[in-house]
Amino acid sequence: MAEWNAYYRNEDDEEEQEEGEQSGGDYKITGRDSLVFLVDASKEMFIKGEDGQPSNFDMTMQVVRSVYASKIISSHRDLMALVFYGTEQSKDPSKSFKHVYVYHDLDEPGAKRVQEVDALRGGKGAQLAAETMGSGETSLGDALWCCANLYSDIKLRLSHKRLMIFTCRDKPHEGDSVKDRQARTKSGDLKETGVIIDLMHLMKPDGFDVAPFFRDIISPPEDESELGLQLEPCDKLEDLQKRVRAKEQKKRAQARLHLCLGEGINVAVGIYATAVTARKPAPIRLYRETNEPVRSKTRTFHTQTGSLLLPSEIKKSQVYGKKQIVMEKDEVDAIKKFEDPGMFLIGFKPMERLKRHHHIRPAAFIYPEEDEVKGSACLFSALLTKCHERNVFALCRCVSRRNYPPRFVALVPQKEEVDEGKVQISPSGFHVIYLPYADDMRTLDPPQCPTASQRQVDKMKEIVSKLRFKYRSDAFENPVIQQQYRNLEALALDMMAPEDTEDLIMPKVDQMDQRLGPLVQEFKDLVYPADYNPEGKPAAKRKTADTGGGAEKKPKVEVPEDELRAHVQNGTLGKLTVPVLKEACKKFGVHTTGTKKQELIDALVDQLGQ
Amino acid sequence: SRRSHNRSASVLCMDVGFSMSNSAPGEEPPFELAKKVIQKFVQRQVFAETKDELALVLFGTDSTKNSLDQDGQYQNITVHRNLMIPDFELLEEIEHQVHPESHQADWLDALVVCMDLLQTETKGKKCDRLNISLLTDLNTRASSEQIDVIIENLKQAGITLQFFLPFPVEDDEESGRDADRGSPGHPGMGKGLSEEQKSSVDIVKHIMLNLDEENGLDEIYSFRNAIEQLCMFKRIERRPMAWPCQLTIGSCLPIRIVGYKAVTEEKLKKSWTTVDAQSNKKDDVKRETVYCLDDDNETEVEKDDTIQGFRYGSDIVPFSKVDQEQMKYKHDGKCFAVLGFAKQHTVRRHQFMGTQVIKVFSGKDDEHAGVALSALIRALDELNMVAIVRYAYDRRSNPQVGAAFPCIKKDHECLIYVQLPFMEDLRQFTFPSLENNKKFTPSDTQLSAVDSLIDSMMLLEEDDNGDQKDMFKVHHIPNPAFQRHFQCLHHRAVSPSTPLPPMEPWLKAALECPDVIAERCQGPLEEVKRKFPLTEVEKKKKLKTSAQIFEGEMHSFSICIVKHHDSCSALVNCVSLCLVVVTPVSFPVCQQLTRRLEQLLSNKNTAYFMKSITCIQAFREQSVKVNKHSLSFI
Repeated sequence: MAEWNAYYRNEDDEEEQEEGEQSGGDYKITGRDSLVFLVDASKEMFIKGEDGQPSNFDMTMQVVRSVYASKIISSHRDLMALVFYGTEQSKDPSKSFKHVYVYHDLDEPGAKRVQEVDALRGGKGAQLAAETMGSGETSLGDALWCCANLYSDIKLRLSHKRLMIFTCRDKPHEGDSVKDRQARTKSGDLKETGVIIDLMHLMKPDGFDVAPFFRDIISPPEDESELGLQLEPCDKLEDLQKRVRAKEQKKRAQARLHLCLGEGINVAVGIYATAVTARKPAPIRLYRETNEPVRSKTRTFHTQTGSLLLPSEIKKSQVYGKKQIVMEKDEVDAIKKFEDPGMFLIGFKPMERLKRHHHIRPAAFIYPEEDEVKGSACLFSALLTKCHERNVFALCRCVSRRNYPPRFVALVPQKEEVDEGKVQISPSGFHVIYLPYADDMRTLDPPQCPTASQRQVDKMKEIVSKLRFKYRSDAFENPVIQQQYRNLEALALDMMAPEDTEDLIMPKVDQMDQRLGPLVQEFKDLVYPADYNPEGKPAAKRKTADTGGGAEKKPKVEVPEDELRAHVQNGTLGKLTVPVLKEACKKFGVHTTGTKKQELIDALVDQLGQ
Repeated sequence: SRRSHNRSASVLCMDVGFSMSNSAPGEEPPFELAKKVIQKFVQRQVFAETKDELALVLFGTDSTKNSLDQDGQYQNITVHRNLMIPDFELLEEIEHQVHPESHQADWLDALVVCMDLLQTETKGKKCDRLNISLLTDLNTRASSEQIDVIIENLKQAGITLQFFLPFPVEDDEESGRDADRGSPGHPGMGKGLSEEQKSSVDIVKHIMLNLDEENGLDEIYSFRNAIEQLCMFKRIERRPMAWPCQLTIGSCLPIRIVGYKAVTEEKLKKSWTTVDAQSNKKDDVKRETVYCLDDDNETEVEKDDTIQGFRYGSDIVPFSKVDQEQMKYKHDGKCFAVLGFAKQHTVRRHQFMGTQVIKVFSGKDDEHAGVALSALIRALDELNMVAIVRYAYDRRSNPQVGAAFPCIKKDHECLIYVQLPFMEDLRQFTFPSLENNKKFTPSDTQLSAVDSLIDSMMLLEEDDNGDQKDMFKVHHIPNPAFQRHFQCLHHRAVSPSTPLPPMEPWLKAALECPDVIAERCQGPLEEVKRKFPLTEVEKKKKLKTSAQIFEGEMHSFSICIVKHHDSCSALVNCVSLCLVVVTPVSFPVCQQLTRRLEQLLSNKNTAYFMKSITCIQAFREQSVKVNKHSLSFI
């Protein structure tokens, strides 16, 4: 039945779709991720550590909570479940297992679940756990079977299934070989259906030995070279506990098109957005009475007859030089079309010809699509190697979507980079840098300024050197978005106040001052005269204010009617300022929806021009 | 006080006298060319929507209409339009009312009328540029007695001159006097210049060199030349807005700066409005947004009865605008504060964010700030470093993190500010390595084919001085989308009932690879084509016809039914889908079928099921035959 449901995909999947096409080939990602926490609830888990260290159970609940809260923000459509084993009480949908307690069924996490996990934390939480679940016999086999049922009850397509066992007991069945065997069989069944089983072994006084029992339960490490079991438990926990408040993005090509080197030489590539300005999540409109979401419908109708207008009954218009120019909607679209989507090679230029200030929007990234055009990867790779070797970029004309006008782009070669752990930092491919047209370059009149002497420059160099740091692109969180997420969390979880946001893009002024010491004063002595106030207004400005004869000129807000009519007649309304135009609109009872200057002018011309 | 605006006033002064209609066989008469020049010029002005004002003066007209008309002086000169912002009316007037006429007038007299017009009509207006463009064949004898007075007046009033002539005028020293000048051959020359023209050219040169010794002659254009240059619509220009602020390093080192947007993706100033197709009035069309509950009746609710909320996992948290405003991140406003300094190479080009580049200069009229900023720029440049800064435009806008690069040019220095990503903006995608995959590793011969392709397509050429010259400067190309937009608007404005014109050839050519390169790379391209086999992979057709979908669905339904023979919902779904597809073909038959199917379905037996499926399938085949079009249209 999975396909059935997948076919009738939820219509409210708009977020999934906005990112455009899914990437093909090896990276096909459909369906949702799922994660089941299978937590040991035996007595051992509740033993407090030395010096008041929290119990393993308490720590586990902290982890679960933080993963819940992170997932809610990063990918709220993922499914999560929380199941306890080794309990006295039993609770599961099929009511067929003993000593297994399904606390949360496999579902999207929400505020209530976070609060329910919160309730299990600390001393009170241990007490609540003892009251509701208690500790009893252990059968990991039953627990795994129960989890398998949770998965099979899900009607959605799941892309990634993971199960994490949290325990501090390396021999859960105390040598009961029947139970051990049963657990092994069940874990085998689960793994066969694509579930990855992970062990989060927690600290216990005499060490945790994975070998005798759990080695056969868990999934082998994905990478042969990596010995997954050797990881210190704390490391994994710490990773899990790290709160990430950022929306997770699935790897999807924005578009797939041909990189055309010449007649008939088409390399298939996918365009990926590797950096996109993250925005605050969009609000949803709710009905005040019930807090249920409402849908919006926009319709266009005739003002006089009130009848709905079909697309064929409307046209588009612009006014230039007092003349209305009207076009069909289709024509408006057709004007934008130059050619079919694609990247067309113009030539090559040395890298130093790519000017740093020729920047108009974030770059994209292209990677070959071998399964669209066979041979793409090889030619792409050759082009990449040679461009990199010769330090050149490829200049292309690019139409990224249907009916998009062309833009020129620089394809900058990027060789693969890996870190010490062989983890990819930058993949191989071309960065797509969008280049400005003549219209995008503004003419500035650079002021003539004196240049600094070498002594002054040297002093500044000392300052610069004192404040050196290693820049990392992922080091700065967006305080605006972080605050919004914290506010939401606080509201959703009935917290008294949102967690504090650290504004990472605030200069650490005290530390800077301390590091610089006397350098600042020394530099100031070199460049600023004693009576100069760098924070004040420039001297020239002050003078005009003093000699201006007191009263400041207030902008004249009203224009006599005949003058206004003359402006309309001569098409010189544009000379008036926005406040004046607004005032004029008010005076003549002209209603405008816009506040833009042109809109005000158009409205006035409409009213007075007739 | 407010800055003066870059507003200009100009007079187009066109000769419509009888000699303007003369032309060599097969050549367009100067009158037509001159008319094209002013049409193009006015078009550009209209679409650029500048506040520049324009007047039109015609001379050689049969009648006389100008303010200097007295005692038989300044005859046959007509002020057709006074100084005002040009509009389509003017374009239409030029199209329909400007004709060749049968008189001649002294072009110097016409110039004087224009000067008088400019001076009287710009009185009290702030104009920083006054210009007169004269379009004439210079075929009248000009009385040169007043020439020095005229030059003096032009200089005093700050009026600049441009001449548009049927023939090119060259510098005497370059072309050698007399001999070459006026030699036949150039279009517009006819059989060479007349005596009147020759003496007039001398006067023109005298005036132009007096006004500007260096470049005066550059302002003399031939009609053809001008038409070529004017075919491009004016690029969108915006006055840069100064953003004064303080660059701070720590708490006690402020430097007064001023920022300007230097590069940003320019948008068209006007957007389309929706109008009623019949009346062309926008007031006849109203758009309205209504809100409704997600129930069966789609119950409408008032906008005022809605509040805003945000998704928190499976919950939606009501969060009013007021609360949001109160709880949102707030900051101190405008700032340009250094967080620290980093090596330039750690800030990668492809990580630039945002949609603009800001150039930062020192505060206006503040030489001390200039020295301080210069010290910073030079220090960064010498150390190969950048400043990482917090930038906030004002209190309402969100703060950014960005990099300020040093930029030292011959005539100025500045910092170049670009926004950098936040952690939330980054998408760390990994891709399979291309290097370690033997399947994709190109051979040496393949690599050398690409090598020669790069050689043949280098867009740099050496000029006479041995400097590398860029043959394809993208930032000199006007945005083709704007050019096309204005071309179509103009077309629609002047010929409303005809279809839109094709793209202009010059625009198409401007976007293509330069001819030299296109030719040079043919061989290497062929080689690449030979060395790299590329085969399009047969794709599953993305757009299936409904018949194919139907077939597929039928198959999967039957499988699904066999598997879950007790699942009633699947059956109902199956049947209803079939009916949706079938219904439009033949309704009565369909009803019959429905009844039969319902009968079958009430019996939970797989055999019956298969029967019903076969039944539908047969029916479908039949209906496809009967009405292919209606089915494939669904």
